[in-house]
Amino acid sequence: MRQLWVMTSSDLRQRLRDKSVIIFSLIVPLALMFVFNLVFGGTDEIELEPVTVAVSAPADDEVAQTLLDAITGTGVVDVTVEQVPAEVARTAVADGEANLAMIVPEGFGEDVLAGTGGDLEFVEGDTSGLETGVVIVVSQSVLDAYAAGTVAATAGGGLGLDPEELGRVAVEAATAGPTVESTEGETSDEQLGQGAALVAGQAGLFLTFTVGFGVLGLISERQEGTLARLQSMPMRPGLIVLAKALTAFVLGVVATSVLLTLGGLFFDVSFGPPALVGLLILSVVTAITSLTFIVVRVARTAEQAGIIQSILAMVLGIAGGAFFPVTASGSLARVLDLNPIAAFTRGLGITSSGGGLADLAAPIAIMLGFAVVMLVVARLIPDRGVSR
Amino acid sequence: MVRRYGELTAVDGISFEIAPGETYGLLGPNGAGKTTTISMIAGLLAADSGAVRVLGEQMGPSRVAVKRHIGLVPQDLAIYPELKGRQNLNFFGRLQGLRGKELTTRVDEVLDLVGLTDRAGDPAKEYSGGMKRRLNIGIGLLHRPTLLILDEPTVGVDPQSRNAILESVEALSGEGMAVLYTTHYMEEAERLCDRIGIVDSGQLQAEGTRDELIRLIGGLDRVRLDGSGDLAAAADALGDLAAVEQVDVDRTGLSLAVREAPTAVAELVTRAIAAGVTLADVEITRPNLEQVFLHLTGRALRD
Repeated sequence: MRQLWVMTSSDLRQRLRDKSVIIFSLIVPLALMFVFNLVFGGTDEIELEPVTVAVSAPADDEVAQTLLDAITGTGVVDVTVEQVPAEVARTAVADGEANLAMIVPEGFGEDVLAGTGGDLEFVEGDTSGLETGVVIVVSQSVLDAYAAGTVAATAGGGLGLDPEELGRVAVEAATAGPTVESTEGETSDEQLGQGAALVAGQAGLFLTFTVGFGVLGLISERQEGTLARLQSMPMRPGLIVLAKALTAFVLGVVATSVLLTLGGLFFDVSFGPPALVGLLILSVVTAITSLTFIVVRVARTAEQAGIIQSILAMVLGIAGGAFFPVTASGSLARVLDLNPIAAFTRGLGITSSGGGLADLAAPIAIMLGFAVVMLVVARLIPDRGVSR
Repeated sequence: MVRRYGELTAVDGISFEIAPGETYGLLGPNGAGKTTTISMIAGLLAADSGAVRVLGEQMGPSRVAVKRHIGLVPQDLAIYPELKGRQNLNFFGRLQGLRGKELTTRVDEVLDLVGLTDRAGDPAKEYSGGMKRRLNIGIGLLHRPTLLILDEPTVGVDPQSRNAILESVEALSGEGMAVLYTTHYMEEAERLCDRIGIVDSGQLQAEGTRDELIRLIGGLDRVRLDGSGDLAAAADALGDLAAVEQVDVDRTGLSLAVREAPTAVAELVTRAIAAGVTLADVEITRPNLEQVFLHLTGRALRD
């Protein structure tokens, strides 16, 4: 154990002197967090801009009046209605003076109430966007309600209801609320916000690179000729690889902890109780470090190790949502769930939304299970790599 | 020992012994199997068949206790360039199990032995090639090994540093340490080694002291007497000498096969002059390990 400590502490000192560890493990991921936050930031907190709708509608059309009341009273989009002739409405949109034109033809209301349809025309221009989309959807909802009432009245008439009863049914059908409601479920609770997902994803992605410095350290020993001397020392040969893995583990834990802490501070994100977050960090670093034992058995050169490491980092990082959320269904979803970085991100989602230790059982089991499988696979692979 | 890499048999039945205080040289060209041989002796590689025994105990990659008896100086510079000379020694000393005052004292002794005391505080990357080689050797000596293995320790070293290294090895042998020295420099083997094993194609072609090996090719010195005059009469006169085994005459002089030419040369010259030869040049060629190697393998040592 003393020799393990001597090698690990010396290796850590040399790694810290090597600025590339700090650059790749801390500076680059933090920089990417800022870049991605600038590119994607704020899209989960959308602020809708006020819109102007140029409306051409007959003054005595009750349905048109109901539509105008609906679009100006959404409470979501601040809508200003300007009543103008149809041609002026179209021109206003083309000139950018209005964001949307709504043209209600003569007799539109009567057609809707009679259940014979009617053409309501919307014109969008260059200044149209999400806000005008909301206006159109609200209008469509109003017309759907009218259609429901008309259908109900027609059906009632067919059943021989008296006119008073028919009117009551029609109004009820038109004004009834939704019969199906959606509520936010458990899965939603495990989702990190965009900023937090960026921090967690980048920390997970660069953890793979950070841990890779352990493998590169072993290759460096061989290139500098010190591996042969280490192998001649009075200790078991496996201790050398173990020391490199321990170095990688320590670097991984420190780098991930610093990234989550700084990322949390910079982007105003909380991942939950530090003890639980620490447990997740230890688990994911264990999982990723286990890959070290496979790489050292497969890679013969620094170039090979670098390529393998980059492939692993990108595959695990992207599949784990380092750049954008990845969703799948069926067996592919189950495979993605086994990705330790995805499990790490999911675990942070649980801790950030108040989950406890018991709630973390599944992601931690996935990460530690991944480590066990990788260690078993490493034992089965013939040693053709740098540790020979 | 036998060691194979796929179809290639790198070491094919090499076997020898080294006694305490003895310097044993493994002489052979690049690719002869020297480094693979010492890798098995140092416990870096396991032999496919056969065994290495150090003080009666079998060596292998996992034989931790036996490895304590070995000091390896690899062919490549096995030092950390970013660390200072003293830090390099401290690091490997700790791995050898030294600690505290014993470590400090031993590091100082080794720095003195390899002549790096004044530069102990400088990073190894700032050392000259010769200083790096000396530090490389010093690390192998830290724990006072029973057997010191030096794998081509003078490759790429300037003549002055080479001489310093050779003097250090001679001193170690004098202290009773067994030394295994691999080289493809014939003159180093002749200077340092009590016994020499000639290796080629993974096999030990011959083994013995320098004189024993030279006797394998007859052991006679060659003397060339260039001159003019009565060469035939001189040949008759010289052929009567007991030290002379053979005399050949050509247009420009005489070629003789002689035992102990340095001793006999004065008599040879005197008799040739007396026989009426005017000498222009005298040249003695003693058989060396290069010729032994050529004789045994059919190719030059540095091919």
